Amino acid sequence: MTTLTLPQTTLPPSTHEFAEVIHRLEAGGSMLPDTPENLMQIIGIYKAYAVPMDFYWRDLLYIAERVFLDPLPAFKYFLPKEYLDLPNHYAGDTADLRIWRGDATAHPELLAFMEKGELKQKLPKLLHHLWHDRINMEFAEACMRAMLWHRGMGGQFDPYLDSDEYKANADRAIRAYFQGNPAMLGLYRLFPDMFLEKVRELSYYANLGLFWEIMAPVFFEMSDLYDEGKLTTVPEAMNFLVNGIFAIAGRPIYHHVYIRGECYEIIPKSKGFMWLYEAALPYVEAVFYRTSPFRGTKSYNAQAKQVPADQADFHYGILYADVFPVGSAGIPPTLLMQDMLHFLPPYLVDYYQKHCRGEDDMLIQLGISFQRSMYNVTSAVIQALRTALLYPLDDPNPKHLLANRQFFETQLDRFKRPEARLRDIQRQDYR
Amino acid sequence: MPDIVDIAVSADGFKTLVTAVQAANLVETLKSPGPFTVFAPNDDAFAKLPPGTVQTLVQNIPQLTRILTFHVVPGKWMKANLERVDSVTSIEGSPIQIDTSDGFEVKNATVIAADIEADNGVIHVLDRVILMG
Repeated sequence: MTTLTLPQTTLPPSTHEFAEVIHRLEAGGSMLPDTPENLMQIIGIYKAYAVPMDFYWRDLLYIAERVFLDPLPAFKYFLPKEYLDLPNHYAGDTADLRIWRGDATAHPELLAFMEKGELKQKLPKLLHHLWHDRINMEFAEACMRAMLWHRGMGGQFDPYLDSDEYKANADRAIRAYFQGNPAMLGLYRLFPDMFLEKVRELSYYANLGLFWEIMAPVFFEMSDLYDEGKLTTVPEAMNFLVNGIFAIAGRPIYHHVYIRGECYEIIPKSKGFMWLYEAALPYVEAVFYRTSPFRGTKSYNAQAKQVPADQADFHYGILYADVFPVGSAGIPPTLLMQDMLHFLPPYLVDYYQKHCRGEDDMLIQLGISFQRSMYNVTSAVIQALRTALLYPLDDPNPKHLLANRQFFETQLDRFKRPEARLRDIQRQDYR
Repeated sequence: MPDIVDIAVSADGFKTLVTAVQAANLVETLKSPGPFTVFAPNDDAFAKLPPGTVQTLVQNIPQLTRILTFHVVPGKWMKANLERVDSVTSIEGSPIQIDTSDGFEVKNATVIAADIEADNGVIHVLDRVILMG
C-alpha cells in the first residue's frame, strides 16, 4: 500500500530531466504538484466527469448487450429506463463492494439534464437529441475506438478476440440475432469477417462500459470526501485512486448479449479476464497516451513522418494534448469538455470566471484542469503498478529502491517528447 | 508424506491462502500427484494488499483462480533448481522472474521459507502476493 511517509532515501539524486517529479513520486506523491488549487481543480473535474460517465458506461453496455448488430442503430443513445436503473456494482446498498455512498442508479444530475438539457425545457427526447442538447456519447465511442484501433496493449482480452472460441461464440450470437432475416444472414455469409469485426468492436463497448462503471463511483466518492473535508491533498487523492485500482482489480470483464430474452456469452466471465489487466491498463495506454490525431485539428503529413510509423509511439492522448486547437466543435475531447461543463461544481465555475476570459474560454480552462486531473490518475496507475510489481517506497533494500527509481524514470521517459504537458502542469498559471 | 494442501492447512499463517484455494475449487488439483511448485503467500502477504482486493477476488472465482494459478508452476522446483533459471512459467501462463543472486526473490517477493517438501511437490513461502505483469 502506498504511504505518505518519506523514505529514507539511500539513492543519489536522479539525473533524469524530470528528477524533481521522480523524487516526488519516490516520496509517495503525484506527478501533479500538491497545491490546494490543483486539488480543487482535479476534484471538481472528477465530479463533472463522473456525471456524464454515469451515462457513458450505461449506454456502452446497452449498445454492447442490446443494440448489438442493429444495422440502423438510430436510437442507440436513447437509454431505456432499464439501463438507467441498472444498479452500479460499486455504489448503493446492493453493491458488491461499496465505493460510493450514493445510489446505484443513474445520478440525479444526469437525469435532470437528460430531461431538460441545456435549454432547461422539457421537450420530447428526440428534439433534445436533434438539437444536440444531450450527453455526447460520441466521446465514449471515440475512446472505445481508440482501444479497438490500437489493440494488442497487453492482457488476455485482446488476443482472445482472434481465437476460434471467440469466433464460434460470436457466430452463434450473430445467427441468433438475425434469425428470420435472410437478407442480413445472406450478407453475413458473403462478408463474415465484417460482422465479426463489428462484434469485436461491440466487445470493446462492453469492456469500456465495465471499466467506467467503476470509475464513476470512484470519482463521486472522491468529490464527496473533498466536500466533507476528508480529502485534503493531491497525494491523498492519488492514493484513493491507487487503493481503488487494487480493490476492484479482480472485477470480471466480459461481453454478454441478450437476444430475445436469451443470454449469449460472447466473452464469458469464466475466462477470468480482469478489470486491471484487460480493461484499465489498455484503456490508459490507448486513451491517455496514444489515441490518434483528431480530424480537423491539424494537418498531419504521414509521408513527412509527422505521424509515427509505430502505433506504440502515438502521442495524441490527453497527457500530450494542446487543449486550445483541440477545442473545436465535434472533436472528441471537446465533446467531453462540453459534457463536463454542464456538471461543474459551483466553486470551479467561480474559479474559471476569475481567470483568462472567464465564461468565454471555460471549455479550454476546464480542459486544462482535466489534463491536470488525468496526470494525477496516471500517477495513481504508475504508483499502483509500482506497488503490484515492485517494492514499497520505504523498502530498506537499496537494490529495491533502485528498481523503483528505474521504473519511475522509464515511465517518465514517455513525457520527454515536446508535446507532453508534464512540464506545463508543474506551473499554476498554465490554464 | 503430506501433500501441498495438507501442509498449508496444518501450518500456521496460511488461513487466507487456504480459504482462497478452497473458494477457487483448487483443493483437488493441489492434492493430485502433480508435481507442483507453489509459491505460497502467507497471511501477512495478503494483508499487505489494499482493502477490498481479496474481497473482490473471492466474489469472482475465475479471476481468483487466475491469480492463484499464477503462484503455481508445474514440476518440482527446489531452490537449487531455481538458481539455474531466470524465470519459470506459471500455470496461469505468465512468466515469474526468479532472482537468487542476493537471497531468494520471486518477482518482487522474498522467499521467507524455501524447500518445504510435500508428497506432490514443493512449497516456497512468500512475503508478498505476486501479480502478473
